[in-house]
Amino acid sequence: MIDKKMGAENTIIGDTIVIRGNVQGDEDLTIKGRVEGSITLTRDLFIETSGIVKADVNVQNIFISGVLVGNVTASQLVEISADGRMVGNISAPRVVIIDGASYRGRIEMGETAEGVRPVVRPRPVSRPGIRPFPPRPAPAPAAPKPAAPPAVAKPAPGAEAKPSEKPPEKPSGPGGPPTKPPEAKGPEGKGPEGKPPASGGPAVTVKKEEPKKP
Amino acid sequence: MPGKTIIGKTIIIEGEIEGAEDLVVQGTVKGSIVLKENLSVEPSGLVEADVQTQNVDVAGEIKGDITATNKVEIKKEGKMIGDIRAPRILIADGALFKGSVDMERR
Amino acid sequence: MPEAGIIGKGIEIKGELRGEEDLIIEGRVEGTITLKKHLIVETTGVVVADVQTENITIKGQMNGNMVASDKVEFATNARVDGDVKSPRVVIEDGARFRGNVEMEVELPPGLL
Repeated sequence: MIDKKMGAENTIIGDTIVIRGNVQGDEDLTIKGRVEGSITLTRDLFIETSGIVKADVNVQNIFISGVLVGNVTASQLVEISADGRMVGNISAPRVVIIDGASYRGRIEMGETAEGVRPVVRPRPVSRPGIRPFPPRPAPAPAAPKPAAPPAVAKPAPGAEAKPSEKPPEKPSGPGGPPTKPPEAKGPEGKGPEGKPPASGGPAVTVKKEEPKKP
Repeated sequence: MPGKTIIGKTIIIEGEIEGAEDLVVQGTVKGSIVLKENLSVEPSGLVEADVQTQNVDVAGEIKGDITATNKVEIKKEGKMIGDIRAPRILIADGALFKGSVDMERR
Repeated sequence: MPEAGIIGKGIEIKGELRGEEDLIIEGRVEGTITLKKHLIVETTGVVVADVQTENITIKGQMNGNMVASDKVEFATNARVDGDVKSPRVVIEDGARFRGNVEMEVELPPGLL
């Protein structure tokens, strides 16, 4: 049991009490009941084993033997005892977690190890999530590909199977190559079904769609 | 025997308090108080709240309506602005009270 | 304690470390560490690596993510930057830490 300063101002919220709202003060506070809202003290907060607190807390020292859901900012020490359970972020110069405690959240004690790793930490959230993956590069924007990939084109007989790089006005044979609307190909710029139709016919060389040129 | 909750002098609570034990207010409570047991507002206490409880004694200040199932007592240092509904009422000489009183037994 | 590997103070390793026995690091290791038992980073040790093992005790410097099947412990001189996932986590007074901690937390219903 934490050794409280006897005689000092000490408010005790009993175990049948439920408070929904903001609590602030300049004295120690012991919670055996339930508090939901926010707690701001210039002194210490003791959450007893029966205590349940769902609140953001801003105090000097906090000793958790009950349940706390919320973020804690302490100017000195945060201690979670073996019976304590907490979900939320902690910002304090000293943090002690006793074997047996349960905790989930982010702890920031200020400068720590040598900054060898690039410190790009995810923003604190009450539920520490998976480190977000860097966003995948968006597929190359649909460049106006003039190319009607000849692949799709009927093998224009005798058509200068000039693949890809022909601007739509390719004078092709019958039914000219349908001008495919420029769709975003992946960065690899593969031609759309880039397979020359099996039909014989003039070799239609399918080139990689390089939107270069015209 | 339920315990007792003491809201100390420097404590300010804005919100609702409910419980099944005695409550002693030495600090400030704004909002509402619903208790199954007794409320005691000490000389340093300030309550701006509607109160529903069994017994109330006020030696501090209370602004709000009190509904008590048994007794309301305003002590001589006490000050109340609000309406009282309780079967038994005691307002001491020297106390300040402004409001209405309804002692009708239900 | 059964044989434990020791990486001495003057040793620097970059790469993938794996093993079945306990490992004590007094020097410097960069990379990844996968063990079956106990990793101890001594006060002189500097580890810049993701670690996965059963038990982790840090008394020195650790920069990386830690996954333990039993317990992670930061002693007083520890300087740790990284995320921790373990059923048990112990932080001693004086340890410096920045990162996420993930343990199973049983909460009364309706709190989150």
